[in-house]
Amino acid sequence: MRLEHLLIFGLVMVATWCAATYFWPRMLLSVFKRAIVVKGFGDGPVPVNTLYTQSAALFADPLNLPAGTSKVASAGVNRDTLLTLGWLDLSKGPLVLHVPDMAGRYYSVQFTNPSTNTNFAYVGKRTTGAGPGDFLITGPGWTGDVPDGVGHIASPRRSVLLIGRVLVYDDADLAAAHRLSTQLRLAPLR
Amino acid sequence: MRRTYGYFAALVGTVCVAFILAMLFLPLTRTVRSDVLQGFLIGFGLAFVTAQAYARIKAVRVNGWITMPGLGDPGNGVLMRAACAQLFPGPVNTPEEAVYWWANTDATGRELTGRNRYVLRFPPGGLPPNNAFWSLTMGDARNRFVPNPLRRYSVSDRSGLVPGPDGSVEVFIRATPPEGGTSNWLPAPSGKFILWLRVYEPGPEILSGHYVVPPVARAGGPTP
Repeated sequence: MRLEHLLIFGLVMVATWCAATYFWPRMLLSVFKRAIVVKGFGDGPVPVNTLYTQSAALFADPLNLPAGTSKVASAGVNRDTLLTLGWLDLSKGPLVLHVPDMAGRYYSVQFTNPSTNTNFAYVGKRTTGAGPGDFLITGPGWTGDVPDGVGHIASPRRSVLLIGRVLVYDDADLAAAHRLSTQLRLAPLR
Repeated sequence: MRRTYGYFAALVGTVCVAFILAMLFLPLTRTVRSDVLQGFLIGFGLAFVTAQAYARIKAVRVNGWITMPGLGDPGNGVLMRAACAQLFPGPVNTPEEAVYWWANTDATGRELTGRNRYVLRFPPGGLPPNNAFWSLTMGDARNRFVPNPLRRYSVSDRSGLVPGPDGSVEVFIRATPPEGGTSNWLPAPSGKFILWLRVYEPGPEILSGHYVVPPVARAGGPTP
């Protein structure tokens, strides 16, 4: 009788341990998903498959967060890059990311798999250069042809967390950096 | 390492182990419901404790600076991913794009606090090697920006740090402005604080682990 209880307890404990360890990154990223698509950053929720760039005013004066801003996405103290965030759902078809000419400026666009919190691809100065470009983002099982002159990013999952970072040289450069950040654009594949 | 997390993990671990021992050796009346409930809670607690312990094993601590090699790497195993999510709770960059260090203690393990003055001295040619930029950012005890008259929240390769005559760069980390000018001042709060060192597109010396971040050294007595 006692052995049965120990067995049940032990099995539940080991199963919970495995599940909690496996799902920990996913639980963490679900907080970010909620921050993006439910709460937003002062301008209301950010719909799925759209990009939101942190406001220049918030970057210039980070001590006063506007009402309704999720603190999660601005978590951590960052005075280097303007953040652009988006939650992608590729189940309705691929998306095209357009990147403007950054004129040598440092930028990166990070593609994170939200089920593991690992980064499966980058677009940016280091990986694809600072020139203009278009990148096709496809979900698992997508078949088709990538248009000429367009880069290809194959996501292992339908959901993707996209984080863009554009370097701000100094306060005088903030407007220019923000203009470039907002030119990071997502569109469905036509 | 954040000490509160360490204490909390130790507490959770102790409670879990005590529960398991009591179950094995004490004659308790048990029901299936209590088995499942306790199994769930203790399994969850132990998952937290193991990820914390694994993070502490895998983290690299030099001169009070803490970093985690392999953050966000798609090749990471289950345990490593859980450990990364606990030590750096967010979708941070992979090391090839950016490496992060943070410190809440000085080189000797004492907590950083604005009651003291600190100097971070990069020796000549010892600034973090990179192909993009680096920065040293101040956060208060809750990792928020610190108000200050200069509205300066970080120092970096872009902030006009003035090197000394020998080419070294000293950053003065303190709550009050240094006497010799504010160009190299990183304003601290009056209480505890955290420092973040970010290096984007780090050079090979950083990726190979050979670059050593200089210690945050306590200078002089407490601020009057």
